[in-house]
This record gives sequence, C-alpha cells and structure tokens, in this order.
Amino acid sequence: MPKRVLLGLLLACGLTAPALAQEPKTGGVINAVIQPEPPGLMLAMVQNGPVQMVSGNIFEGLLRYSPKLEPLPELAESWSVSEDAKTYTFKLRKGVTWHDGKPFTAADVLFSMEMLKQTHARARTNLAQVDKIETPDDYTVVFTLKQPFGPFLGIFEVGSMPIVPKHLYEGTDWKTNPYNNAPVGTGPFMFKEWQKGSFIRLVKNPNYYEKGKPYLDEIYWQIIPDAAARSVAYETGKVDVLPGGSVENFDVPRLSKLKDTCVTGAGWEFFSPLAWLWLNNRQGPLADKRVRQAVMYAIDRDFAKDVIWNGLGKVATGPSASTIKFYTDDVPKYPYNPAKAKALLKEAGYKGEKIRLLPLAYGETWQRWGEAVKQNLQDVGMNIETIATDVAGGNQKIGDWDYDIAFTYLYQYGDPALGVGRNYISSNIAKGQVFNNVEGYSNPEIDKLFADGATATPDSKRKEIYDKAQKILVEDVPVAWMLELQFPTITRCKVKNLITTGIGVNDGFKDAWLDK
Amino acid sequence: MLSFVAQRVVKGVIVLLAIVVLNFFLIRLAPGDPAIVMAGEAGASDQIFVKQLREKFGLDKPLPEQLFIYVKGVATLDLGFSFRQQAPVARLIGERLPATLLLTLTAFAISLVLGILFGTFAARFAGTFLDTGITVFALIFYAMPIFWVALMGILLFSVTMDWLPSFGYETVGANLTGLAHAVDVAKHLIMPAMTLGLFFMATYTRMTRASMLEVKRLDFVKTARAKGLADAVIQRRHVLRNALLPVVTLAGVHSGTLIGGAVITETVFAWPGIGRLMYDALLQRDYNLLLGVFVICSAMVLIFNLITDLVYRLVDPRIEYAT
Amino acid sequence: MKQFWKSMLKSPSGVIGLIILLLAISVAVFGPMLFPNSPWRMVQRPFLPPFTLSTVPLGTDALGRDVFAGMIFGARVSLLVGLVSTLVALVVGVPIGAMAGYFGGKVDDALMRFTEFFQTIPSFALAIVLVAILQPSIYSIVASIAVVSWPPVARLVRGEVLSLRTREYVQAAVVTGQSNSWIILREILPNALSPVIVLASLMVATAILLESSLAFLGLGDPNLISWGYMVGAGRTVIRQAWWITVFPGVAILISVLGLNLIGEGLNDALNPRLSREGR
Repeated sequence: MPKRVLLGLLLACGLTAPALAQEPKTGGVINAVIQPEPPGLMLAMVQNGPVQMVSGNIFEGLLRYSPKLEPLPELAESWSVSEDAKTYTFKLRKGVTWHDGKPFTAADVLFSMEMLKQTHARARTNLAQVDKIETPDDYTVVFTLKQPFGPFLGIFEVGSMPIVPKHLYEGTDWKTNPYNNAPVGTGPFMFKEWQKGSFIRLVKNPNYYEKGKPYLDEIYWQIIPDAAARSVAYETGKVDVLPGGSVENFDVPRLSKLKDTCVTGAGWEFFSPLAWLWLNNRQGPLADKRVRQAVMYAIDRDFAKDVIWNGLGKVATGPSASTIKFYTDDVPKYPYNPAKAKALLKEAGYKGEKIRLLPLAYGETWQRWGEAVKQNLQDVGMNIETIATDVAGGNQKIGDWDYDIAFTYLYQYGDPALGVGRNYISSNIAKGQVFNNVEGYSNPEIDKLFADGATATPDSKRKEIYDKAQKILVEDVPVAWMLELQFPTITRCKVKNLITTGIGVNDGFKDAWLDK
Repeated sequence: MLSFVAQRVVKGVIVLLAIVVLNFFLIRLAPGDPAIVMAGEAGASDQIFVKQLREKFGLDKPLPEQLFIYVKGVATLDLGFSFRQQAPVARLIGERLPATLLLTLTAFAISLVLGILFGTFAARFAGTFLDTGITVFALIFYAMPIFWVALMGILLFSVTMDWLPSFGYETVGANLTGLAHAVDVAKHLIMPAMTLGLFFMATYTRMTRASMLEVKRLDFVKTARAKGLADAVIQRRHVLRNALLPVVTLAGVHSGTLIGGAVITETVFAWPGIGRLMYDALLQRDYNLLLGVFVICSAMVLIFNLITDLVYRLVDPRIEYAT
Repeated sequence: MKQFWKSMLKSPSGVIGLIILLLAISVAVFGPMLFPNSPWRMVQRPFLPPFTLSTVPLGTDALGRDVFAGMIFGARVSLLVGLVSTLVALVVGVPIGAMAGYFGGKVDDALMRFTEFFQTIPSFALAIVLVAILQPSIYSIVASIAVVSWPPVARLVRGEVLSLRTREYVQAAVVTGQSNSWIILREILPNALSPVIVLASLMVATAILLESSLAFLGLGDPNLISWGYMVGAGRTVIRQAWWITVFPGVAILISVLGLNLIGEGLNDALNPRLSREGR
C-alpha cells in the first residue's frame, strides 16, 4: 500500500550523529591521488571514475545515499511520492548559490535534465521513465513518470544526475564551453587550478550552505601515472589519501601495515562493483549451457579473492551483488570443482575448439587475474588463447561480439532495475553497444521478470520477482560471475570522516576533516 | 648557406606532411574510437548516444574529408580540438612541452658529457681491460630496462635516503618563486634526467671511442706525434676536436630516440611532459591530440637535425651535403 | 676467417660477450627440454622467497608461479624477439641501403627521404602506436621493433655501398656487363657486411630492451612469457618480492651486455676502419 514518505531531515540528523563523537577541526590541506588523470571535470559531459571522484566535490546531485542506500537530502531538502507512485515532488534547498554567486533554482534542475539527456548515457536511460518535469515555483521540481518505477529515488546521486548551472551553459556550444575546464558547481569545494599532468587543486567554498562545512581548506589531487610510484608517494608522506584502485592490490597489505594508516572498503555500497566474465552465448562452445556451467566450476574464485584481491571482496553468487536491494543467495551454487567441469565439457562434446579470452587492461591486478583464469580453464582441458588489447580495443571487440570470454566489472547502482537487468534483457542486445547485453542471452521469461520488477509495488512484490529472476539466471549462466569487488581506500588516520555515505568515495570531502 | 637552409626546410615540410598523412590513417586503424571509449566510461551506452558522439567529433565524415580538414588546419598552424579533453590541442601540448624539453635537454647534456668523457678514456686505453671495464660500466645503465633503473632510483634516493622527491615537476602547493623554485624543480629533475641520460650515455661512449680511434690513425695526428707534441696536447687539440664532429651529428639523428625514451621516464616519475600525453592520447583514441604530439615531436627532431648540421657545417666547411 | 677468430679472441670484450651469448642461447634452446614445468602454472604459495625450496629455486611470483621456469622459457622468447626483429630489420634495411648507394641520384634521394621519414618520428613512440594498433602479440611486437630499427641499417649500408661502388673491381664488373643485382649481391654486399654484423649485434640487444619497455606499458604478448614481461609484471611488488623482477632483470642486463661486448669485439676484429653510421 503506497503511502507518503517524508524522511529527508530525519536521516540527515542520523547521519551527522557519529561525527559529533569527536568535534571536527577546521582547516588543513589534503593531498590525494587520482588515477588516471581525468579527461575533464565537467561531470555532465564525462563520467569515468576519476572524474566522479574529483567532481563529486564540485557538483552536487539532488540526493545522496546512506551506506544502506536510503536517500539523503542534498540539493533537495525533502521529497514526496504520490499515491499512485508516479509523481515525485522535490522541495529544493533555499539559499544555495553557484560558485560564481548566482542563486540555484529549479530552473537549473530542469535545464540539467535536458542537458544530461544528450550528454550522459546512463542519465538518459534513467530519464526515459519520465513523462514530464515541471517547476511550479523556484524551489519545487515535480517529476511525472510514465508508469511506476521502483528505483526512481535511486537515480539522483551526483555522478548519475549532476546539477549544472543553467546560466553558464544555456545557449552555448556545450562541448567547447570554457567552463568545462573550470567547472562551476554548488558543492563544498570550488575548482581552482589544474596543471595538466601534475595536479588538480580544489579550494573550500566559503559560502557553502551547510554552515561550518567543509572543514578542509584545500584538496590537491596528485596525478601519478605509475602504480609503484603512487605507493611510494604515500609511503614518503607526499599524499595522504589513496582512493580505491589507485595502488595494486598486491601492495595493499604492505601499505595497510604502515604507521598511522587506516584502510576502509566502505563508500562503494551504492556502486557495488561486480566482476564477471562475459560469455558469448551466440557461437562456439559457449553457446552450450553446460560449457558455461563448466566455466563456473573450473574457476577457483576463492583463489582469485584470496591471492589476487588479497582477501578483499566476496565470491559472487549470481547477477546481484549482496549489497544491493533484493539480493538472494538462494540460488544454485558453483563451487570450485574441476572434475565436474571436465565431466560437463565431455557431456557437451567439447573437443578442444579454441576459445579467445579478453582480459581487462586495467593494470597488473587484472592481468594476473586473466592469467589465473586462463590457467584454471586450461586445467580442465579448454583451449584458451589470450587476446591482448587496450581498453578502447577491448570495448570495441566486446561491442562487436568478437570474443568468447571477456573480463568486465560494472556498477549496480543499488537496485536490480538500474544495474542488473540491463545486462540480461533481450531488448538490450544490439551490436556496437559496449555494455548492456553483449553476451547475447535471450530468455522471454527473464525479460518479463525484469520488466515487472521495475514497475511492481510494493517492495515485497519486487523481491518475489527478483528472487525468481536470480534463480533462473544462475542456472543458465549467461555470464560467469566472479567477485563482488572491494576497492580499499587507504588514508592517514588523521583524515577523519572521509567516507560516511554509500557514495562516499565520490563525495567524501564534504564531511572530511583533518585531526592535526 | 641560405639556400641550404631553405632546401632543408622544404624537405622537412614534405617529411612532416608525409608523417601527418601516414599517422592520420595509422591511428584510425586501431580498434575502437573516441566515442567507444567515452561511452564505455559512462558505464552505459546506446547506439544513438554513440552516433551523436561520433557526429560531434566529426568522425562520421568520410576519411578523405577528415584528412583534408586536418591538413588544412595544420597548414594554418591549427592542430585541432581534443574532444576528449575539451580543449585545443595546441594548448594541451603547449602546457606540457616545456617539461619535456627541460627533461630531454638535460638528459641529452648528461649523456653527451659523460659519454664523451668515458669514450675518450676508453679510446686512450683501447684493447686493454680498462677499456672493457669502462665499456661495461657505460653499458650497465643501457642494458637495464629504463623503468627498472627509474624504480631503483626512487627506492634508493626517495624511500631509503629521502634525498630526492619521487614524482612530479615541483613541490605542489609550496608556492615557491625565484631561486627557491628553480632549486625545487632541479631537485625533481635530477632523477628523471639521470635515468634517461645514463641510458643514452652508452651510445655516446661507444661513438666517441670509435671516432677517437679512427682519428688517431689519421695522418695529421701522426704528424703531430712526429713533431713531438705531448700526448695530452695531441689528444685535446687534435683528436678530440675532430672526433667529436660525427658524435654531434649523430646526436641530432638520435634526438627522436631521446624523445621516445621520455615516454617511460615521464610515466614512472609522473613528469608532466609530452611523452605521457602521447601515450594517454593513444589509449583514449584522442586522434587529434595524438597526431598533434607526433607533428610537434617530428618537427622538433627536424629542427634539431638542422641545427646540428649547421653547427657541423660552420665548424668544418669541407663537409659535402649529399643528403 | 681464421684471422677473424684470432682478432676476436684477442679482444677481452669479444670473448666475454661470446661466452655470455652462448650461455644464453643454450638456456633458450635446451632449458625448456630439461625443465619442462610450465611458467604459468600456479605451483606453490605466492611470494615464496628464493632458495627456500629446491623445486622452485628462484621462488614464486604473485600467483605462486615458478620464477625459475619463467626465466628458462623467457630466455627463448626474449632472444627470439631480439633475433627475429633484427633479421626483419636487416631484410628491409639492407636492400634499401644497397639500392640507394648503388643507383644514386633520384633513387638514392627518394629512398633516403623514405628512411629519414622513419627516423624523424620518435622511434619508441612509433613502436607503441604500431603495437597498439595491431594489438599486442609476438608478431606485432617483432614487426614494430623491426619498423623502428631498420633505418640505421639502410643508412649504414648505403654509406658502405657508396664507397665500394667506385672501387675498380666493381667498375670492372659494370664494364663486363654484369647485371646490377649480380654486382650488388656478389661484389658489393659481401664486402659491406662487417659493419652490418656489428650493428646487428647491437640491434639484437636494443630489441630485447624495447620488448621489455613495451611490456612495461602493458603491450606484451600475454600468451608468451619473456624476461621483459616478468620484469614489467613484478615491478609493482618489488618492495615485498624483489626476486620476481631482479632475476629476469639481471638476465636482460647480462644478455644485453654480452651482445654489446660482442659488438665491440666484432668491431675491432672485422672493421678496424669502423663506421660512423652505426648507433
């Protein structure tokens, strides 16, 4: 039974409570590492990981999310949902100004939605559910949906839906707008300087609407392209924060043991990165379900977790990470069992046809993982050839379906309707698309379940649907799920409160302070 | 003299044009394009989105038209726009060029000075074990992968001894000016420049040694010796001076190799130069930027060659310029 | 020939170099037969230090793979990359240089422009781009190393041919109406060979280094283990496991050193006149 919810303020209080345990100190400069160098900082135009990490402190979304993925207020102060679950009304915070002093209003939100539809692939998909957006006054935005959409409140985080200044972008050529290189947002930090190849400098926004925040004066994002050199930079005290993924996993245990070093895997709950192997369901041996199951049995995923990821993360049980909504572990299991894999291969009549494996060109960890998987598969008699490519070449090959097995990891954005279904529904099969359903799995039952799951109410009904979908998928093995990844953030312990939310790695400096 | 320079400039422009055309097609042969890269990073993609990106980048036009647009731009000294970084290519390169020039020229000076020094010694004691010893010593830094030497340097001088900074061009946020700033940059420069310089030192050592041995056999040296001039004087006044000419010329030819070697040095030491820019542009299929780096580097090599040739010509006007 | 060996063996550099090269080649040829353990198989716990277990004498890497096996199999790939890419570079460079030097005039001008063109592009940068375009594999690596290393060969050969062209015996051959290709192949090239051999020995060394640099940038062939690949892969864990990079690194060091010493030795033995065109 749908009912009105109004819980923004409540949660905001709940969030600040732990921070009160120790009185935050104001001031100080933090040096963090960013890798690789962002191509730009205009979050509406480019969205790779590093861009989000830096720009998440410059721009803001309407909402942010707790580690349990409940929505928290940001630019929206409160929100309500209509009885039919089709109308969402956001009340915007008053007295917010852009970094250039102009006031922030509902017109900016409206403009941002229009712009993102053209420049932000994921926002574009999410907004496809929206019928119309209205702004009855300067501080109210009303979204009317075509049909109920369960995860709608989960699409407003800064990386997914950054709010951009209308007065600087309207009527300009977006791609050459000079503010792309000196972004203006509403966030706690303002862009100050970017020496390409060296560092990006952000400074405190003195007019930030949350009184007293941010605590830090400046952030330097240092650009260091080599992983070994990044470790050294931390060790020699030149940087204080190593965000997830900026050092090789093999180096994490050593760095964690250094004096005054704190490590956390938190702050990724909203993204829940899940790693899997795309299996090309269309052609060759992997078109046979039994061969795909054999792949699951053949790979020692505990070894991958313990050795390659240093015990971080979790062996995946299926298409959903355990941190997102409606996850169930009541699915068929695939423990490491080479004998069973061999039997399945034999049953399927596999005769040593060549299978091409595409590792992910994201550094040594992923290369080692590719080598280990290759060895696992060879051990059960599969004839594997590793194809080396860089990221661009790999994306192209996967998009063109020119592969047999390929590594990937994708974010799940908290809800199966946002981050899971897209990889398995048949309407997402289209050549030339990088992600989505590139494995070519097509099952009308799954299509229906994910379609129903997105629009069903209430949540208990959604859970029922997704439980069923997960069971079917795990039985069919359209792709081979490997690990729920955890990218540890390594900091000096004097950096406090860096990660407090479920999107903490991207907007953490809002609450962070330095204990001098 | 002037006609020689003019001729060389014309030839240089032709070579440069050929480089532009060849690389233009080469780069586009690589699988994947900027639109695929950017869609991939957004974590989602649909065909319309990718198509829009391609249109925005001008990649939907036929190749000859794209080439024409690019060459026309280069002819008017416009290297185009990097859609990836949303900035003009000339500006992106301009920001990074000084760092690379500083690094490569310092490394060049180091390799030349040390190379000539060691080469002279080796030639003096040619055929002895001292000769072999010097050769081996000079070769050690050449025979190790350059990234390995760089890493060792960092471990030794930054981590263990804490003498030198391990990355970057200057101390970020220190806001130093004047002499203090110069010292700061110099401290950052030492390790990358030494790594690169020691690597190329071996080449110059060998060249100097060989060249010295050859000159020694020439008639005028024998004459000088017959005249009873002191050995040291002969070495300095006659042998070294004449032996250095080919070394200098070859240094010109090798400038391209030096710039190439900077890719790795810049990567390990986070030196904000053009080599790293090139590699990033390649990975991201930033066509215009990659082409721009190639054009600028090649132009630099041509200019450097011209300068060394001119120096040679001034010093030794007997040289004939067949090529 | 006897004379050659005699002067070669007189130079200490040459002798040391030869010994090293013979050793490396015999490891590459016979090693994999004597120690058939796959270098990819995970055999022991990861990061096992060297000299603790006799089954894995040089320890294990980040995945628990045998470093010793990697060294043995890596020798094969590294030396092969060096030799084959040098061979390809010679096959391209020698004819171009010979034709330029022999025919002179317009042919010379055109061929030298072509050569200059390849020397103007920063060579390592070109190699990176080529490997990235062709996608990393042993073939693309060999090809791109060859592409960037033939120009010095062409220039060297051209210079030699240019000076030999005016010799009397060559002129005599021209007068007696021998074909151009016969003259080049039979009269000129054999006499221009010594400096080329010297240069080639150095090119093999450079190619081994180039391969390792490509591997560092993630542009190695993932199906074949080479020394360069091992050094590149182990460098990020150098603080906790020095042995993963040090052993293959030393192998590269010694081989490259050996090849260079051979170059020196050959130089003194074959070509007292010594060319300036080599690198």
